[in-house]
Amino acid sequence: MESLAFLMQGFGTALDPMNLAFAAIGVLLGTAVGVLPGIGPALTVALLLPITFKLDPGGSLIMFAGIYYGGMYGGSTTAILLNTPGESASVVTALEGNQMARRGRGGPALATAAIGSFVATLIATAGLAFFAPMLVKVAIQFGPWDYFGLMLIAFVTVSATFGSSPLRGLTSLGLGLWLGLVGIDQLTGQTRLAFGVPNLLDGIEVTTLAVGLFALGEALHVASRHLFSDEKPIAIKGSVWMSREDWKRSWKPWLRGTAIGFPIGALPAGGAEIPTFLSYTTERKLAAKPEEFGQGAIEGVAGPESANNASAAGTLVPLLTLGLPTSATAAVMLAGFQQYNLQPGPLLFVQHPDLVWGLVASLFIANVMLLILNLPLVGLWVRLLKIPLPWLYAGILVFACMGTIAANPSVVELMMLVAFGVLGFLMRRYDYPIAPVVVGLILGPMADSALRRSLQMSLGDPMILLQHPGSAIMIAIAAIALVAPFAFKGLARFRQDED
Amino acid sequence: MTFFRSRLAAAWLVAAGATLAAPATMAQDLELSIIAPAGAGGGWDSAARALQEVMMSTGNARSVQVINVPGAGGTVGLAQFVQGAASSPNQMLVGGITMVGAIITNKAPYDLTAVTPIARLTGDPLVIVVPASSPYQTMADLMEGIKSDVERTIWAGGSAGGADHMLSALVTQAAGQDPAKVNYVAYSGGGEALAAMLGGQVTAGISGYGEWQGQIESGDLRALAISYPEPIEGIEAQPLKAQGIDIELVNWRGIFAGPDLAEADKAALEQAIAQTVQSPEWKELLAARGWSDYYAPSDEFTAFIASESERVKSILTSIGLAE
Amino acid sequence: MSTPTAKGLHKPTLVIGIALFALAFITWRDASAMQIRATYGMGADAASYFVALFLAVMGAGHLVAAFRWQDDPGPTDWKAVGWVALGLASLIAALWFGAGFIAGSTLLFVFTARAFGRRAWLADLALGFVLSLGIFLLFNKLLTLSLPMGPLERLF
Repeated sequence: MESLAFLMQGFGTALDPMNLAFAAIGVLLGTAVGVLPGIGPALTVALLLPITFKLDPGGSLIMFAGIYYGGMYGGSTTAILLNTPGESASVVTALEGNQMARRGRGGPALATAAIGSFVATLIATAGLAFFAPMLVKVAIQFGPWDYFGLMLIAFVTVSATFGSSPLRGLTSLGLGLWLGLVGIDQLTGQTRLAFGVPNLLDGIEVTTLAVGLFALGEALHVASRHLFSDEKPIAIKGSVWMSREDWKRSWKPWLRGTAIGFPIGALPAGGAEIPTFLSYTTERKLAAKPEEFGQGAIEGVAGPESANNASAAGTLVPLLTLGLPTSATAAVMLAGFQQYNLQPGPLLFVQHPDLVWGLVASLFIANVMLLILNLPLVGLWVRLLKIPLPWLYAGILVFACMGTIAANPSVVELMMLVAFGVLGFLMRRYDYPIAPVVVGLILGPMADSALRRSLQMSLGDPMILLQHPGSAIMIAIAAIALVAPFAFKGLARFRQDED
Repeated sequence: MTFFRSRLAAAWLVAAGATLAAPATMAQDLELSIIAPAGAGGGWDSAARALQEVMMSTGNARSVQVINVPGAGGTVGLAQFVQGAASSPNQMLVGGITMVGAIITNKAPYDLTAVTPIARLTGDPLVIVVPASSPYQTMADLMEGIKSDVERTIWAGGSAGGADHMLSALVTQAAGQDPAKVNYVAYSGGGEALAAMLGGQVTAGISGYGEWQGQIESGDLRALAISYPEPIEGIEAQPLKAQGIDIELVNWRGIFAGPDLAEADKAALEQAIAQTVQSPEWKELLAARGWSDYYAPSDEFTAFIASESERVKSILTSIGLAE
Repeated sequence: MSTPTAKGLHKPTLVIGIALFALAFITWRDASAMQIRATYGMGADAASYFVALFLAVMGAGHLVAAFRWQDDPGPTDWKAVGWVALGLASLIAALWFGAGFIAGSTLLFVFTARAFGRRAWLADLALGFVLSLGIFLLFNKLLTLSLPMGPLERLF
């Protein structure tokens, strides 16, 4: 239990009153910037990182932990209240969260997200502290074939977000896959569908697509409807807090979300999005009232949001043990470490145990502070929806556009954002689901690279996908998940006919 | 909140001072903006910010602002720079060998002859590694392996057409095989390639030395050679040249000014950069980041770019990425 | 919200179906023009062909669906959509012609508020300006992130 002693020592450093103040400032700043629509955790951390440079390494690392978790949490607030996810991992949270907010249940949605984040982060940070070296040994054994199997499972589960019509859902997915083709292919350097526009060579930015489809598309859609519809967003209906039933429906999804998010986040190329998709599907399958999904089911917020935060802690596993940043946020954090001549990697735990454990302890503390700070804020955030509609949407649009230009100051990027906004509007108008487009853009290129890397290593032999047990099992699961619903439906119909 | 107020006040003071000052002619009055043609956190971004830090702390510039213009191996930033910085005495652009390659493979509208090279700044060695469990103990073993089975010698490294890919082609060619046959698996960066190396899915890997330093020192990876022309202090692996393989490839970065720059303005920028790189602060920063000094003044740098462009083009052609 | 129309050809679905075919065709053309081949395994064109086929199948599905019952979107306030579009276009134009972030964002704010029925132009103008100015100061001064500059921004 050497780790435990180190951790206690880390807590000793982190609990110093000055350091506690740094943690509080970090959490506050991270939440404040992260809550701006269109600004995800990566940008939040990048923007606030310079502030930490002014402190000594210990204090800065602690503030840094606060900013990281604060930014992660802030992202979900706008997704739930305004249907404007600031990053791809909050897209799923927006699905049910915004439906809840519209029905006056924004308070419970934010609360379950906050408490779910807390629970997930607590467990995942403990996982990071005690199992990181072990987990990473398993994670690096994951070959491209295994990633391909994982992508296949994720693809199959996406159908949960399709809504009423499979044709429309698949069309949305196809559109996302198409957008995913755009740009220079990483494996060969071949350009796809860029039509000579240099800004397209790096592909479509996921955040630009998500903010365009969700925030701008939503604003256009509401504008086109508000004259004819009495359906105004209701700020608060019932209690701002979670009811007994909400608790009962939330605690299992929190734990399941964590169990899905942490290991996948710890994979060198797992990412934060796939766990949220998987968690959403799982909750939908297991829910007592699956018909509530799409209408604001609390499980659909509790699960994915926990998965998102657990995977965020998971990404720290390869970052700290291998020096391997697996997300944009982690890449920025790596730059933060290097500022102090710390090279995350296999030797970090040996050479600088004080700093590593100080950071882990700070993560725990930041997590607690986040909960203390944010639960009272829930009531305040919900009041955002009381802003008169014209100003609310005008403000959303200004912030959404600002987020895009701030990340990439280019008129072309802004035009793409607007084009995606128009697309989002048309899709809403004709009842096409939005989420599968974002899913296609994220998963398509990942699946493409994973499959082609596998085939390159096997010199073109497709059997490699089945020769490795991991990928073979995952491909089988995907195939069963794809066929099973049809089989059950057929069986049910068969039985009905017999009656 | 006093922290912010004081920062804001400082910013006001700087701005007020700037409007009062005469137009920049002296080096220490320079108000620069440096374009980093990549997103935050990348190599060019950190080079630009390092320059910002040292130029301001050594007083070689009054203010330096870094602007990120990401996209397409730096060619998006280059195009914007060529169009927007013509004869401007206070705009600069960071670039490097990856940009030279991207200009060729992307058929970019402008190449580096369109801008004014000011100085070459840093040059980092690439390292060739094998997993600790690999049967290859030396570079000669790896060359032997390539010679006997080029197809099953699988390389991992950064994106296609980048410096890592070029080095794998050069090594394959030196082993007597067709560089077009190199089985190079591209990853989005040193990180993902590292996982493939540690997982034993590939034969050998290439990356910037600094990126894999931790694993090399801990013994998880075995460094066979570096691509620098001379041995480097603190790096055990010997240059390819010292091992009888006539290859050198340096991941250099340099700084450029806009087209049609007046001689006096060019001289002022050259002087400011020269003084910056000679300062102890710069040397300290290089050591901290693990970067190697590769400074060359404008004339030498201009000639270097011309020869480097030729060489990169012929390598890329041999891989089949350019005609 | 939506009203079912009579049986017959559903035009939007038909148009979407044709658009999907067009997209599939463009993708197929793009794939067949690719020059860089992978030395081992599959090339970059394989995914393009797959997506082209996928979109074509979806297109065919839409053509079939166009002859079935379809819901029509409810009434649409095109004027409001126009105002929002004008706001977005103003922001793009402001950045394109170098008028700066504050001017563009203020216009976006005013026009969007108009789309939702506000007519108090002056009040909205003031509010939009204060908001944009606040964002600009926050980003450019505190967070040192460069939002597009114009004549107005250079004053600060």
